[in-house]
Amino acid sequence: MLYYGTGPVFDEMVTGGGRLRPHWQKFMGALGALDPSLMHERWEAARRLLHQNGVTYNIYGDPQGMERPWPLDMIPLLIPAVEWEKIECGLVQRASLLNSVLADLYGKQDLVRSGRLPPALLFSDRGFQRAVHGAVPTGGVYLHLYAADLARSPDGRWWVLGDRTQTPSGAGYALENRSVVSRILADAFKDGNVQALAPFFTSLREMLVSLAPAKTPDPRIVLLTPGPYNETYFEHAYLARHLGITLVEGGDLTVRDRHVFLKTLSGLDPVHVILRRLDDDYCDPLELRTDSSLGVAGLVQAVRAGTVTVANALGSGLVESLSFKPFLPMLCRHLLGEELKIPGVAMWWCGQKEERTYVTEHLDRLVIKPAFAHLGVEPVFGASLTKAERAALTAKINERPGDFIGQEQLGLSTVPTWIDDSLQPRPLVMRVYLAAKPDGGYTVMPGGLTRMSATAGRLIVSMQHGGGSKDTWVLGRSPSEYRVATSRIQGVPSEVRSMEPRTIAAREAEIRPHSGDLPSRVADQLFWLGRYAERSESVLRILRGVYSRLSDGARPGANDQLVPLMRLMDWSGMVPRDLVDLAESGTGRGLRQALQGAVFDGSHPNSLRANVQRLHRTGAGVRDRLSLDMWRVITQLDRQCEPASARSRVDTAMLLRLDDLITTLAALAGLEQESMTRGPGWRFLDIGRRLERGINCVTLMRGTRIADGAGDDPAVHEVLLELGESFMTYRERFYTTAQRTPVLYLLLCDETNPRALAYQLSHLSRHLAALPRPPMIDSKSQHSPTAAAIRLVDEAREVLREPDIIRDRFALRSALNRLADRLPEISNLLAHAYFSHAFSRSA
Amino acid sequence: MTPAAPVPDEPEPVPEQVPEQGPEPTGPLRYRTRHTTRYEYGEGVSVSQHIVHLLPRDNPRQVCTSAVLSVSPEPSIRNEWQDYFGNPEAYFAVQEPHRTLVIESRIELEVKPPAPLDPTETPSWETVCKLAADPETPDAIDASQFLFDSVMVRASPALAEYAAPSFKEGRPAADAALDLMRRIFTDFTFDSTATTVATPLTEVLAHRRGVCQDFAHLGVGCLRSVGLPARYVSGYLRTHPPPGRPRLVGADMSHAWFSVWCGDEAGWIDLDPTNDKPVDADYITLAWGRDYDDVSPVRGIILGGWGHTLNVQVDVEPIDD
Repeated sequence: MLYYGTGPVFDEMVTGGGRLRPHWQKFMGALGALDPSLMHERWEAARRLLHQNGVTYNIYGDPQGMERPWPLDMIPLLIPAVEWEKIECGLVQRASLLNSVLADLYGKQDLVRSGRLPPALLFSDRGFQRAVHGAVPTGGVYLHLYAADLARSPDGRWWVLGDRTQTPSGAGYALENRSVVSRILADAFKDGNVQALAPFFTSLREMLVSLAPAKTPDPRIVLLTPGPYNETYFEHAYLARHLGITLVEGGDLTVRDRHVFLKTLSGLDPVHVILRRLDDDYCDPLELRTDSSLGVAGLVQAVRAGTVTVANALGSGLVESLSFKPFLPMLCRHLLGEELKIPGVAMWWCGQKEERTYVTEHLDRLVIKPAFAHLGVEPVFGASLTKAERAALTAKINERPGDFIGQEQLGLSTVPTWIDDSLQPRPLVMRVYLAAKPDGGYTVMPGGLTRMSATAGRLIVSMQHGGGSKDTWVLGRSPSEYRVATSRIQGVPSEVRSMEPRTIAAREAEIRPHSGDLPSRVADQLFWLGRYAERSESVLRILRGVYSRLSDGARPGANDQLVPLMRLMDWSGMVPRDLVDLAESGTGRGLRQALQGAVFDGSHPNSLRANVQRLHRTGAGVRDRLSLDMWRVITQLDRQCEPASARSRVDTAMLLRLDDLITTLAALAGLEQESMTRGPGWRFLDIGRRLERGINCVTLMRGTRIADGAGDDPAVHEVLLELGESFMTYRERFYTTAQRTPVLYLLLCDETNPRALAYQLSHLSRHLAALPRPPMIDSKSQHSPTAAAIRLVDEAREVLREPDIIRDRFALRSALNRLADRLPEISNLLAHAYFSHAFSRSA
Repeated sequence: MTPAAPVPDEPEPVPEQVPEQGPEPTGPLRYRTRHTTRYEYGEGVSVSQHIVHLLPRDNPRQVCTSAVLSVSPEPSIRNEWQDYFGNPEAYFAVQEPHRTLVIESRIELEVKPPAPLDPTETPSWETVCKLAADPETPDAIDASQFLFDSVMVRASPALAEYAAPSFKEGRPAADAALDLMRRIFTDFTFDSTATTVATPLTEVLAHRRGVCQDFAHLGVGCLRSVGLPARYVSGYLRTHPPPGRPRLVGADMSHAWFSVWCGDEAGWIDLDPTNDKPVDADYITLAWGRDYDDVSPVRGIILGGWGHTLNVQVDVEPIDD
């Protein structure tokens, strides 16, 4: 074994005497010699799995923070069953206690009226949501999913560091960690009789179903997320998928008649249970935080009417405040008639005089934290402060004592972590999850999310601060469980696999895959995903056309063809007009700079990068609807548009990069065609693409001024063929240099050419006819927006059938003008019919 | 995509007829009030949801004989209950397309003048602070919830400093609060253009201008900053037309003032810093809370309806028998 030094704290793996603890022996045996190259191999396998599964999390306030890979250490934390039972027992008690405290504070408030809790504790906490006072949730349960952060002191005892009572995060990451680690450490996992996590999620789902109002035959359960910018968005999507419930944002829901509904393509669909990942005060802009744009207006009314259950109950964030912690032992005796089984780390709330004095006199030994969850400030370690800083802190405490709490500084236990080719001890905090049972009481997930701090001495354990995570193995209480799980699927030692059949069966029973299932917001975003993908491609092709001529001036016709290309760039607002003349007169530094801006400058609204960023953002909003491969391609596009170093900005290097980008975009288009089921989601995406390509086709014609005398020359025809990806077809069919009439026919009228306008229109026509009936609008009416959109498409097809347009310049010009006017209107009509019905409607 | 647009709350109450001192009311007075809020939207609104505080709360000083809240178009659903502070609160949703929304409350009630009180007989303000900080009686516990920061009113050293001259050592609580009321009236200029609903208290304090809502908040903030429980009261004030002129119908406005707790015996005392007088039978109480945010008369969320105009009319009519 490699050298593994521990300090004065408790180490999970070795005793103070340096001996391996008994429950680690089997594991270390199965792990074998800690050969760095083998470990590296395993680590690579883990990384690959995480990458494949798209496991990420976001860091706030960090521009690079979107989509960080999830940091997982492959050595799990091991806990023997006997020890785990004590933890389980203690946490079930704690969950019940906190639930009773909430029931009192949101009810009669006897705890305050009898003087057991100081009024300031409740009344000065912004987490106390007066708007939901008196609204008793289904079955009196406030905490449906609860998590506690545990730490172990040097004497080996577990302590509760904090409670997560409103939207506990991390259970999904724990499950994901398990699926990865159980595969890369298959042997050790098998030998360890590790307790399975899957049953916990099954019971979580059952509990959610049980929250629906009685006699709801087919309850709709949703997971309400703040959206893709939330730090744990991956987990929201993952959990929703795993539990077989719909992932929604606030904008997807609406309240009518004090009921919550999901806005779908075919209308409003009732929602019965909301598992929320949105903080209390953001949930309803009408009655909670009025500036929240994430919530659902009227939700509190629906909750009060009992038509929907929100898990956890609105307002349950209150008991996350540390100010409550010192009172819990007393509250436990009073409310449950028991002693608290797992102690909380010692804390002193400065809102009380004696406690404040103790804290200010012992600053050097304490960690000072905000007493109320809403204050959200970082903990301060008294020991690390200078004398002056301590005095300043004391003054701050004395000014608003109720805002502070002093906490005993706990020496966290350490756990072996694979760092720099060796095992090193790192301080850990373990988060354990509990779910309410339909018939009362709580189920504990046997395992949890273990997080380590990034450095040996650092006592802040947080993913936001660069820590890592681990799987948590509760060892062998029921050895049969693993065998049952694996007997079905040989050679796939992942319990995640083993549980799939059950989950699928559950889903089949409860999911309704009818076409109206698609939330309107998702349809809207998929539509724009298609448009942005197509728009990026068109910008990219123009840029490539320019660079290919700049890098090879000797190419026949290069200079002549630059003229229409630059004209197009001007027309589409990619470069300023004066540069067009510059290009006509040759090349220059100003031109290069402007071109690079048109590629890399994200703040330039018409640049390639800006369009790709829009594509990426739109994709992020519907990530749960895209395959992992599609999402990977979209992230790759985004990376490929990051500004290049000076050396790789020479024309030839730029050209190579643009070629790569074309390939990536083609991969995206390919996945759309080959990997998406033909539901309404795909249809909206493809409508977006067809419409954008049609509009773009008209833009190319107008931008190169082919209908003007000036643009009627072979250089223009060649450029149009190139940008329309139709050069090969033209050569095959016509064997001549590009000529106006056949070029126009090929790009406008040929329904067999997937780049031609006629092709887009014929597909649009088919898509529109197949769309589900738009909600809230009488579809029989000739005035329905869908009918109007179909008419516009028909009209456009009529225009293309006029023989004159490919021969006569004037006929062409007027046709192009009409098309340019009508095509974008189709987009507006669709938005009106499908996306905005629930937002606004003209009378 | 169009997000739901929050509807701005009603504009700040601005009394248009400054109440000249009428005869001191002695016996109970009867009133009929009408409060009409009218929204005109630039485009059809498909759904609107509102929460209103427009009906009067129970109050030992006033007896409500009739209270009707009507909404046009007729809401598809409505719900009435008591809010956390015991004020009547109503929710309604109009779910058919509309370009106009009219909310009207009509109330008939009788208001008694407050029991006579000698402010110098109340306990010292320091004593009241102690009673509230360490409350033992049910009244004190109730009062203690009005000691703390709320959304629109946060205690601060600046407010404590402004309050200090009124809170001399050992001064009776009500006497000190009356002095504070007088000083706000003297030091601050009524100016309906100086502030909006969103103007922070620090700015009001710095510029010494504002309307009744600001002055009520200021009083509440000062009292909390010295450690006294204080609440914000919204209601109406009867206005007296100039002598020889008829009363103007619809020219009244919502009003607001502050209330301070002076111990179990004296209880809550309502003071109007905008008009420099203790609240009497000229004042009708609708609701109280920690600040305006708890009791705003009308607040709503609409879907659609770009741009809107808002018109509020209040009429307070004494009934002569």
